[in-house]
Amino acid sequence: MTSSILFKSLPVSLLYCILLIPIPLYFYWGIVNQLGPDPLRFLEHKYGELGLIFLLVTLSISPLFKYVKINLVRYRRCIGLVSFYYIVSHICVYFFLDIGLSIDILLSDLQKRYYIIAGFFAFITLIPLALTSNNFALRKLNIKTWNKIHSFVYIAIILSIFHFILMSKTWTGELYFYTGITILILILKIKSTKLYKKLSTYSNADISK
Amino acid sequence: MKILKYSDVTPYNFYLNRRKFVEALGLASLAFVPTPTLAKKSYSTNAKPNTIEEITNYNNFYEFGTSKTDPAKYAQSLTTDPWEITFEGVSQNKKKFDLAEILKGKAIRERIYRLRCVEGWSMVIPWMGFPLRDLINELELDNNAKFVAFETVYRPTEMRGQKRATLDWPYREGLTIEEALHPLTFIATGLYGKELPNQNGAPFRLVVPWKYGFKSIKSITKISFTKEQPYTTWSSENPREYGFYSNVNPNVDHPRWSQATERVIGEGLFGERRKTELFNGYIEEVGDLYKGMDLKKYY
Repeated sequence: MTSSILFKSLPVSLLYCILLIPIPLYFYWGIVNQLGPDPLRFLEHKYGELGLIFLLVTLSISPLFKYVKINLVRYRRCIGLVSFYYIVSHICVYFFLDIGLSIDILLSDLQKRYYIIAGFFAFITLIPLALTSNNFALRKLNIKTWNKIHSFVYIAIILSIFHFILMSKTWTGELYFYTGITILILILKIKSTKLYKKLSTYSNADISK
Repeated sequence: MKILKYSDVTPYNFYLNRRKFVEALGLASLAFVPTPTLAKKSYSTNAKPNTIEEITNYNNFYEFGTSKTDPAKYAQSLTTDPWEITFEGVSQNKKKFDLAEILKGKAIRERIYRLRCVEGWSMVIPWMGFPLRDLINELELDNNAKFVAFETVYRPTEMRGQKRATLDWPYREGLTIEEALHPLTFIATGLYGKELPNQNGAPFRLVVPWKYGFKSIKSITKISFTKEQPYTTWSSENPREYGFYSNVNPNVDHPRWSQATERVIGEGLFGERRKTELFNGYIEEVGDLYKGMDLKKYY
């Protein structure tokens, strides 16, 4: 009970602040060399991982409401945008610090490296979602169009998880965990689509005959 | 004392912290008397070594977990004393040796090598130990040995990472006999003048400075001399990405990333990348081993 009161009373603007603090904080720790022997890789991976986590949280909000009756819907836009900011930070570390602004390396990575290709397209897919995650766009756009744009998030999560799998040397515990959550979210999503419902009514009808 | 050479590169005083270890080395080697080999400076790099904190907190040792910080956290559970090493493919009667027997009479020296990881980073490490060939020369090898195979200890009760099938345990690596006999090929038993920390492959590990780090197998418990090219863990796990030779080569990319440059551990967030050198800078020393070999094919 207390937790749900807390959720209800937490203003969205405060949530933005809390969730975004790690971005400058980790960067500061990186500058003062508090991120271990390999601060660059740490920062790059941390931003990427947090981006993925927040993306998964965003996608969990609708099944959480549907199956567990936990209503976090009013925080969905905030968490989704936070995820996007982490992903932007992740890409900034890659471009500015990791490859040192080299367009040559960027282009060769985009031709040869499957995990970078997957990650790049995941990011591209998320841009229209980020741009329309505001009341102005919601008013301007027809709700069907808006919903269609925002269903791209499922493409983005599939690409993101591939990005993670393809860059890994082996199947680690984290990788199993994030892939598992992604698969669960996708299954629940598929089950809620009209097409799936239609098909299952047909097959149920077949069985009852 | 010649030992001062060591203090040029390290804040640590030269000492061995375990009496047992000193005893194991035998009286003759107690003082680490400089040998002619030590004078051959070219084998060590002049680069400034990484700090002990960096070297002992950034390790790939999947036997203790896949994160770089796992080995420092969990490697203390490995018992490194007593330690036995079994030899196969040798004709002498005795095949199993206690580590102390192996170390007896070996002139322990320092070698500062740059370790280039296949993942695209490098660090400079002041090892203590002896060339592998000092050991091989004491053995009676079977006549037609062409390769040397190494095996890491398999002890899931002490190595928590081995409880999961991350890799096909035990970890195995191998070299050609020519590579194994090369004076650069080193057995490390110490680091920064002290005993080798567990996370760095205690008590007995290989260091092959012109190959990617994963060839330098840790915590060795078995050494076999074979006719056929032995099974090696990473090249079997993913043959397209990791070859048997795995010589450091900036011109042969890993399928998923470039090997042209490397991140230098210890240079901080804004550190510049370093240009990777062919054979990690040892082309003069090891170039002849691969004369006429297509390094793109035999990566």
